[in-house]
Amino acid sequence: MILSLKNTFAEIGDATLFAKRFFKEVFIPPYETKEFLKQCYYIGYKSFPLVAITGFIMGLVLTLQSRPTLVEFGAESWLPGMVALSLIREIAPVITALICAGKISSGIGAELGSMKVTEQIDAMEVSAINPYNYLVVTRILACTLMVPILVFFADAIGIIGGYVGINIHGDVNFYRYLSQIIQSLEFLDVIPATIKTFFFGFFIGMIGCYKGFTAANGTESVGRAANSAVVTASLTIFIIDMVAVQITDLFF
Amino acid sequence: MEKQSGYTWKLGMFVTIGLLLFIMAIYFIGKQKNLFGSTFHITSQFKTVSGLEVGNNVRFSGINIGTVEEIRLINDSSVVVSMVIKDEVRKFIKTDARAAIGSDGLMGDKVLTITPGVKSTKVIENNGAIASINGIEMNDIMKSVKKSVDNVGVISEELAVFSQSMNNGNGALARLVRDDKMANSVSNTLSNLESGTKGFSENMEAAKSNFLFRGYFKKKEKEKEKQQEEIKDKKEEKKEKAAKEKEEKEKEKQEKLEKEKQEKLEKEKQEKAKEEDAKKVQSDKTK
Repeated sequence: MILSLKNTFAEIGDATLFAKRFFKEVFIPPYETKEFLKQCYYIGYKSFPLVAITGFIMGLVLTLQSRPTLVEFGAESWLPGMVALSLIREIAPVITALICAGKISSGIGAELGSMKVTEQIDAMEVSAINPYNYLVVTRILACTLMVPILVFFADAIGIIGGYVGINIHGDVNFYRYLSQIIQSLEFLDVIPATIKTFFFGFFIGMIGCYKGFTAANGTESVGRAANSAVVTASLTIFIIDMVAVQITDLFF
Repeated sequence: MEKQSGYTWKLGMFVTIGLLLFIMAIYFIGKQKNLFGSTFHITSQFKTVSGLEVGNNVRFSGINIGTVEEIRLINDSSVVVSMVIKDEVRKFIKTDARAAIGSDGLMGDKVLTITPGVKSTKVIENNGAIASINGIEMNDIMKSVKKSVDNVGVISEELAVFSQSMNNGNGALARLVRDDKMANSVSNTLSNLESGTKGFSENMEAAKSNFLFRGYFKKKEKEKEKQQEEIKDKKEEKKEKAAKEKEEKEKEKQEKLEKEKQEKLEKEKQEKAKEEDAKKVQSDKTK
């Protein structure tokens, strides 16, 4: 019991050191620009279809689900504002982050884990390339910057999905729909949600890299690294979300 | 190198569109809050703001033209509300415009409404102040409701006393309502009175034919006849006048009708002529 607790704390400490090393090395040249762009492409562009489909469905479903309750109060005209608010504040960031945790975190975990197991990372170190700089820094940075952009896309597509959902039952002009949404939005809805997504991105990349980088020797540890990367990243996203919402609630 | 350019443009497009979406959202939200574009400020002083909050809409003729920027207490009985308003509507707000606080819908937000003034033609200046109309507070309504409810209480108390005395008292009215005997005797009295008055009118007729009173009654009749003749004369004069006027009017009407008929006929003729011309032209063309 105590031993497992100690192990857990040891791992958290290890992960913290790992993150600290990222902040140290991100400013130290050489900058791996080419690798960074490539990772951005894989993480951002390649995840786009998945995020778009989920975003669309979330907008559509949210509209259809919250419609009956609002109709009961005769407040059907609040539907666009309500859906947009819940999408932008909470649902789009969290859903997108969870999908990225599933797709990116596990991918990075498996990739780095297999590199570690097949001793490619050691080989890089021998040939005077900093593997941390080349593999980890680029990936974490790409994640941190791409996840927010994916969330913007999810917001926009979710709003379009909401428009489709509203037009299943009624007939609303698209311009009117947009102006209703903008009327109900404030900076306070957009800015904290955006800041939150940077943290999501950072932790998705960081946990994936950490799990892969610290994989034990042996083929099975690759699977374990990928698996635990997804689980830990998802859990972390929810914890960050809770903290972020409480902080925004506290200050505004 | 070729492979790299294959994905960089996709990445660039992805990032650009994503950032564009974000910037657009920020811009439109800011525009809605009047952060961009030229604005001006005006203030107004209220006794109470009835729950108005910073960020509520300001309306002029029902259009949202700005937002409430600041609400500040200046002493124990007055609040200064300052608002940001789009510059383009400034020319419509004159110095004698007035601000009032209303609510938007049944359970909606409070809204600050600016009502245009009547006399002034001077456009309001930046940071200018306008007068305010104090809205009806729930308290005021309650006060007036309480007054009328109090009155109703007094009335119903008196009504209760009245009906009590009607049911149990021994006054004439109470007995009339309750007692059958009393009612019968009253109706008997009335029928007696009727037959009495009949007898009296017969007596009067008899008195007229009596020689002692004949002269007096004849004088009265003569006076009556004179008055009636005068009234008749006046009426006849009036009738004659009215008849003359009527005749004149009818004549005028007939003249007008005739004129109109003539005009119509002329117009129809002209139109026919035009149509015939058009037909001719068409037939010429077809030929």
